[in-house]
Order: sequence, then structure tokens, then C-alpha cells
Amino acid sequence: MLQYVNVMIDGAPVRAEKGTSVLDTAIHYGICIPHLCHIPGIHDMGACRLCIVEEVKNGRSKVTASCTLLVEDGMVIKSNTDKILKMRKNIAELLVAQAPNSKAIQDVAVRCGVKDVRYPFRNENCVLCGRCVRICKERAKANALGFIGRGKDRHVDHPPGRLMDYCKNCNGCIMFCPMSVTPCGGPMKKGQERLCGQCDSQLNADAQKMPGVCVWCELGKGFQCSRYLAV
Amino acid sequence: MAMMNLDSILEGRRSQPHMLVEVMLDLQDQEGYLPEEALKTVSKELGVPLIDVYRVAHFYKAFSLKPRGKNVITICTGTACHVRGSDLLVNQVKGQLGIEPGDTTADGQITVECVNCVGACALGPIVVHNESYCKNMTPGKLRKKIDKAAGVKKEKKHA
Repeated sequence: MLQYVNVMIDGAPVRAEKGTSVLDTAIHYGICIPHLCHIPGIHDMGACRLCIVEEVKNGRSKVTASCTLLVEDGMVIKSNTDKILKMRKNIAELLVAQAPNSKAIQDVAVRCGVKDVRYPFRNENCVLCGRCVRICKERAKANALGFIGRGKDRHVDHPPGRLMDYCKNCNGCIMFCPMSVTPCGGPMKKGQERLCGQCDSQLNADAQKMPGVCVWCELGKGFQCSRYLAV
Repeated sequence: MAMMNLDSILEGRRSQPHMLVEVMLDLQDQEGYLPEEALKTVSKELGVPLIDVYRVAHFYKAFSLKPRGKNVITICTGTACHVRGSDLLVNQVKGQLGIEPGDTTADGQITVECVNCVGACALGPIVVHNESYCKNMTPGKLRKKIDKAAGVKKEKKHA
């Protein structure tokens, strides 16, 4: 039998299935928490940190990633406070600076209210979100990809030898990679990087004043927002 | 031969994924590095995906995926050793042997590595030469040590 717990998210009392994450619950009830590395049905690793929320406990609040936070009875979650919005904007800015050639990341940045990027652009091809690694491990059961190295040398790689020995050619890693769709203006070369920000008009309100509910913004399609994948 | 040794390492540890690091440490002790074929066997016998084996091997500096020389010279570049001048030692090695840290000389005699701390900060800068710790190293002392390590082997070869 399924067990349920009662959680308070942004002041709304909701009933959640025991064992699900706060992010999944919020998405299920239409509360918009921006996220990048989360894929429904795949274990979360909390890589992108975009889905941070405040968990209030005994009068103290703790900032933590909601995708790896499991629901508990009587939990109080705030996903839309000024502090969270500011931190989330900063994280989105860092992601854009790392990989501006991704429509998904540009869209998330717009959603988080990034107006300009204060960090130097790196224009790398990977933000280490781990979507390809987890898809390969859990959906394709191929284990052909993984993180190699640590610290600044961490990167996605396959075991030495030919990739074909392990890969099942499911293309899941490419399909779920946030880098697979470039911004509308085409890929940016080194030195030309900028914040796209043109999809701003698709938000029907100022991102800072956006309501905390999902309004089915078109931005979600770029990074396969779980809301679009679930339906 | 190598396979037989691998068998003895794996003895009693098959199908136990948590023994991965132990097996790899033993393999490293025996071979001096982790050969690709051996890692494939380890992956199969322990039931750990090959990518996880490689992830662990890349994570710890104790493991090496490239063959190492007979003399392994490890220079500590941790904070305490750094302020006492371990960068001079690294420069000395680079100039004398013409290799970067992490590489092995062409004749396979000397491997130079950098690590972040060996836990003897008061005696720094520390150089570990084949598991023996040498304290208060200077570029001059290191040069003699490397000359000796390389020279003794060469004499033996000629004899």
C-alpha cells in the first residue's frame, strides 16, 4: 500500500507519496522549480544545483537541492524566497558562462531572471550535469559512459578501447544532453558568447516576479522540463 | 603468469563488488600499474561495470594506469612543502630528466609524480623514493639521488 506524507510547499499543503523527492512532488502539483539535470524516472544526483529550495526546520532554514531531498511528514519547503531566487540566478549565470552554446541552459537562465553574465565565458561543451551518464546506466543499462578524473579534470568518458564494445547505440545520451540544441542564432564562436535572452518575451511576466506555479512556459521544451516529459 | 597472479588476488573475493579497491591495490603492488586486460578481468569477476573500475582507478592517485619506472620519485607539493620550496624540486626534475610530473623516462627507470600531502609536513619538503621518505630535500640532494638511481641501474646493465 502506498504511504502518503503531508508537505507544505510554498505555503500550499500537498500530499506526496512517500519516497519521492521534493522536486518531483512540486512538479506534480504544478509548482515550478527550475531544474536542468533532473530526468523523471532516473535517479537524481544533484549536479546542477538549480533546483535549490529552503527547508525550514525548527525555525531555521537550510538551502539544499530539492531533487535529492526526499519528502518527510510535516516538511516546510520554500522555493520562491528572495534568497533562493538570488542564489538560483547566480547558479544559472555560472552555467551560461560555462556553456553558452545550449538552448536549454540559455532558457533556464532566462527563467531564473539572468539579465547579464558577470563571469568570463568559457564556452565548454559540458556542464557535467550527468544526464548522459545516468541515462546510459539506468535506462539503456549499457554502462558505457561515466565520470573520469576528479576536481577540475572531471569529464565524461568511456572505458578505454572502442566505445562500440559497450554502447548499445540507443542515442539516449545525445537525446538528453542539454548541449544537443544550440541557441536559435546558431552556435557562438569563442569571443562572441553572449546571453541569448531573446525568449524573454515568452515569459508572460517578469522572471523575478513570476508566480511560483508552472505556467507551461515554452522554455521548458528546450531542456525537456519534466512537466513536458510527464504528459 | 600475470593471469595466475591475478587469480590468487581474486581468490575469495569474486562477486564481491566492495572488494574492488583491495583487489586494485594488490594488483598495483604486484604489477606496478593497472594493466587494461587485468582490469577487464577484475570487472568481470567482481561484477562491477568496467566504467566504475576506471572511475575508481582515475580517482585515487595511488593507482596508475600507465606502466611506472623502477624508481618512483614522489614529490610532495602540499601547502607546507610548497612554502618550503617544493616547486624548486619539481623544476629540478623537469630540467634534469626532461619529463613532466606523472611521466616516466624513456628508458623506464624513473617515474616522477606529484602528490598533495604525505603526512610529514614538519619535515618538508618531502620526497618519497620507492616508499622511503627523504626529509628536507633540496634541488642538489634530489639531483644526486636521481643520478644515483639512474646511474646504478646503468652500471648493472653494462656488467
